[in-house]
Amino acid sequence: MIRKVSDSIKHNILSIALGPLLKIIEAIFDLLIPLIMKAVLDLSQFNTPNNIPNVVSKNIATFIRAFNFGDSFLADALTGGGIILVMGVVGYAITMVAQYLAARSSVNVGTEIRNSLYTKMLTLSKKERNSIGNSKILTLINSDTYQVQQGLLLFVRLIVRAPFILTGSLIISFILDWRIGFAFLAIVPLIILVNVLALRKSSKGYIEIQKDLDSLSNSASETIEGARVIRASNNQEFENNKFSSKTTDYQDKSIAVNKINALINPLTFAITSIVLIVIVFLLKESLFNSGDNLLMASTIIAEMSYLAQIFFVTIQITQAVIDIVKGTVSAKRINEVLMITPQITNSDSPKTGETNIGEELIKFDHVSFSFDEKKMFLNDLNFQIRKGETFGIIGGTGSGKSTIINLIERFYDVSDGAIFYKGIPLKEYDLKSLRNDIGLVNQKSSLFKGTIKSNYLMAKPDASDEEIIKSLKEAEAYEFVNKYEDKINHEVNEGGTNFSGGQKQRLCIGRALLKHPEILILDDSTSALDLLTDKKIRETVKGFKDMTKVIVSQRVATIQNADYILVLEGGQVVGQGKHKDLMKDCPIYRETYETQIKKK
Amino acid sequence: MRHRLKRNSMSTKERLIHYLKPMRKSLIFAFIFALLFVTSQLAQPFLLGKSLDASKENAENIFNIYLIIALVLAVLGTVFDYLFEVIVMNVSQRVIKNVRDDIYSKINSICISDFDKKAHGDMVQLEIRDMENFASGLFAVFKTLIQGIFTITITIVMMLMVNWILALGVIILTPLSILMSRFVSKFSHKHFKKQSELQANISSISLETLNNIDVIQSLNHEDKSIDLFKVKNNELHKEGIVSQFSASWVNPSTRLVNNTIYVIIGIAGIIMIPYSVELALVLAVMSVGKLSSFLSYTTQYSKPFNEVSGVANEYENAKASFKRVNDFMNLDFDINEGKEEIENINKIEFSHTYFSYSENQKLIEDFNLVINKGEKVAIVGPTGAGKTTMINLLMRFYDPKDGDIKINNISYRDISKESLRKNIGMVLQDTWIFSGTIFDNVRYLKQDASLEGVKEACRKAHADIFIETLPNSYNTYINAKNGLSEGQKQMIAIARVMLLNPNMVILDEATSNIDTRSEKLITDAFDNMMKEKTSIVIAHRLSTIEQADTIIVMKDGGIVETGNHKDLMKKQGFYYTLYSSQYK
Repeated sequence: MIRKVSDSIKHNILSIALGPLLKIIEAIFDLLIPLIMKAVLDLSQFNTPNNIPNVVSKNIATFIRAFNFGDSFLADALTGGGIILVMGVVGYAITMVAQYLAARSSVNVGTEIRNSLYTKMLTLSKKERNSIGNSKILTLINSDTYQVQQGLLLFVRLIVRAPFILTGSLIISFILDWRIGFAFLAIVPLIILVNVLALRKSSKGYIEIQKDLDSLSNSASETIEGARVIRASNNQEFENNKFSSKTTDYQDKSIAVNKINALINPLTFAITSIVLIVIVFLLKESLFNSGDNLLMASTIIAEMSYLAQIFFVTIQITQAVIDIVKGTVSAKRINEVLMITPQITNSDSPKTGETNIGEELIKFDHVSFSFDEKKMFLNDLNFQIRKGETFGIIGGTGSGKSTIINLIERFYDVSDGAIFYKGIPLKEYDLKSLRNDIGLVNQKSSLFKGTIKSNYLMAKPDASDEEIIKSLKEAEAYEFVNKYEDKINHEVNEGGTNFSGGQKQRLCIGRALLKHPEILILDDSTSALDLLTDKKIRETVKGFKDMTKVIVSQRVATIQNADYILVLEGGQVVGQGKHKDLMKDCPIYRETYETQIKKK
Repeated sequence: MRHRLKRNSMSTKERLIHYLKPMRKSLIFAFIFALLFVTSQLAQPFLLGKSLDASKENAENIFNIYLIIALVLAVLGTVFDYLFEVIVMNVSQRVIKNVRDDIYSKINSICISDFDKKAHGDMVQLEIRDMENFASGLFAVFKTLIQGIFTITITIVMMLMVNWILALGVIILTPLSILMSRFVSKFSHKHFKKQSELQANISSISLETLNNIDVIQSLNHEDKSIDLFKVKNNELHKEGIVSQFSASWVNPSTRLVNNTIYVIIGIAGIIMIPYSVELALVLAVMSVGKLSSFLSYTTQYSKPFNEVSGVANEYENAKASFKRVNDFMNLDFDINEGKEEIENINKIEFSHTYFSYSENQKLIEDFNLVINKGEKVAIVGPTGAGKTTMINLLMRFYDPKDGDIKINNISYRDISKESLRKNIGMVLQDTWIFSGTIFDNVRYLKQDASLEGVKEACRKAHADIFIETLPNSYNTYINAKNGLSEGQKQMIAIARVMLLNPNMVILDEATSNIDTRSEKLITDAFDNMMKEKTSIVIAHRLSTIEQADTIIVMKDGGIVETGNHKDLMKKQGFYYTLYSSQYK
């Protein structure tokens, strides 16, 4: 795992450095082509190299003659053409090597970053992940990584070649005719200006447009979610009009932004055409001087090629700079996450322990917890869970039930006080074996894309089909799984969307039971089951004497038969004990019981 | 009705024309400006070449005239080009807006059975990604096609005018460049498609991991998950190199081919100059000026071909997107053939009603039930018994396959849906909150309600307590994703119905996430409001429905028991089993 984007760049430094160098060779060839053409044209007009007034052209013409197989003008032309074609092919081959190096090194970097981000995501604690935000992590993996990759790709391909061509073209223009050189120099900033202006002005607009598009997407998905309510309330027209005014906004903004973008092409055209006209006009005197005329015309033809080159690379550079800047910004965002040191890690000398049935397994000793270091969410909790017992936790939403589970799993660490597991402070206990001891079924019924079997193998990689079926039966899930033709090999869609809420909960309970965990935690995970099934599962689980059962629920019916019940409200323990005692001593428990079950 | 449905269905071409027709004036202008721009653009090399030749012959006046014309055309061309681009963009944006609005209103008017079959995300994609694809495709295709066709034709004419022998050379050689870039981009396109599939794969794996990270950590599955990710990422790595590499062939390859053509034409042109006199016989005179214009045309000529193949990709995407849009637009409208208006709901009668969502799975079978005005009816039963389906039928989201549902003795088919639904207030288990203020959310069913009315309704729904603790109380901006708990959302949905005060209410697990104390108070408020009126309640928590006049116990699509709480308990049947499982 890398800790910085630049680490990965270092791993690929050879390709990243070699690519641009190879590109220079091709760039030199590209710069020579118009000069050779000019020399051939001059030869055709002046007959021998010595007659050509221009030094550069004269030397190239001599060179062509040196290769020549005859003194005829036809041979000159063909030799010149041949040299250009050979250079083209050689240049092409070299470029291909450079392009390959660019592709390979940038994709290497992208892949390494993606792997590191994914690994990082799994090592961060819940608190750290929440402070970054899930959507940002996803954007980092999906788009920022790609952005860095593309930035690097362009960097390798263009960073040397484009400026080289630009300066080369300008220098040759000066050599051929200083007036033209100055004219070209003057238009480079103009081209950049046109590009930057258009891109900068519109980028602000694009952010606005993107916001509008998000809001359109939001409206559409809200309407889809609310289809029944909208129809039931005959509000279709109202919604249509609301949406239509949003699309009008979006349309107007897009048009406004694009009005600036639409300037690029026309202005580009204006600059090139007018510059050429101005050049011809500037050279008027030389053109009308019969001695210079021939030379000037061939110069103008060569200069037209350089103008095209200058144009092309200037635009390339402007756009590459933007992409490279984007890539650097993305790299910074990625670094921020990669450089986080995870707070919850295994202790340096992890311990493990043993506990017998009936002895204290977990102990909360003056435990407090806060999400933001300001307001305590859990306040001074004291209780213990004994091995083998059924431990119920009841409380309303926001009472802190699930947070207790998160603390036991060490998804969070306590802010104050301490938790002991098998008599050892939880922070010192081996994290892997702690989590291995626990079978957690959370509220969300998380299933992974794959098959029922592949989901179960996540809990116990070496489980046999019989073992899986056994735990499915224990979770009252085998009945419906058995109905599938492919049984436990039945497909699971992403998020388990092809199962009902109750089926998902049963599958998750079965998965937790598969490894016969020392502690089974059911965190509000029977809410979608009817009370009969709920009861059956609870009875099966009760039979596992060595298994500690922690059951979290809002329903009194689910926990009232537990050996020990913890009543939570607002992050505080307001009662603990057996059902009978709580009915006597804990008014909140009694009240909940009465409203839910109403048996006076 | 059939007739209307038929007209609604169009082929993609018909639908595209349907949207473009109103834009024809703008399109004609676009054509004219494109023609003018291309002409003035392509006149430049010709005029410059002419001026060079004029200078050789020492004709200063002609030289000046050519340059001045070139300058004037350059300025005019700039203006025409801008107008052309702006018009094409306006047209595409206007078309997009119209299509977007139509998709949206289609979402609101297709029949619910089609709607339920569609993945929600797919419909959002239609509105957003598909429309963006279509927009950029439409713009790019318009622009490059119109401009490209003109450029190609006029360049050919110009080249033929300058020198027909060289012109033929260019016309024969240029397809090389096109073939080359087509070949390369087709190859790289294939790999890019593969790459983006793999990228989507990576992104869904990351999302799945992120959403279930607790489970992964609690299963100690981190290392295996990382290994699995690396395997997928390696596939992406391989494909990434191939696609990035092959994409990077396009520029150098076309550059190679274009340079080759340029050289061949250039050298041929140079060779022709000394033979100009002989060539004059075949009307193909060559001069340095002509060479300069010709070389310009050679570069200009291949450009539109490359641009067209450049937009081929966008075109394909746009075509695929528009096809998806068209398929969606061709779905049937919700049928609303009923004409009868009803003022109140006095009696509901299911008689021999049959219904199922799919052909081979029976659900509601021979269902018979009468509900009279003023009754409080509760429906209980295990998941999958058909409780919510009954509500779907009653609200006419779905129609029965057989049998009848009569409201006030009128068959469901004859009642207009608006008039039926106007009488009913419905709260579903999945509450719907839209982005807006609490005030707007509560008065959604009664858009003209005052703040006072809204406050009163929230009091009844027990929602006032939490609303008033919010920073902007009733003006607090809320949406489905953040801010409110499930219970609070349900309270808002209940307040909506409280505000509407309808003739009949349907509560489908409407208080499932509300704490038991508030639930009791809300139920009392409902009982109070619904005195003399009809209500249908579906609930898992049986304590909330003990007071109902009639309890209907459903199982596997049919009614197994009916009666009030006392009778059903005495009977010791299915209801009894359900009820007593609460205590054990």
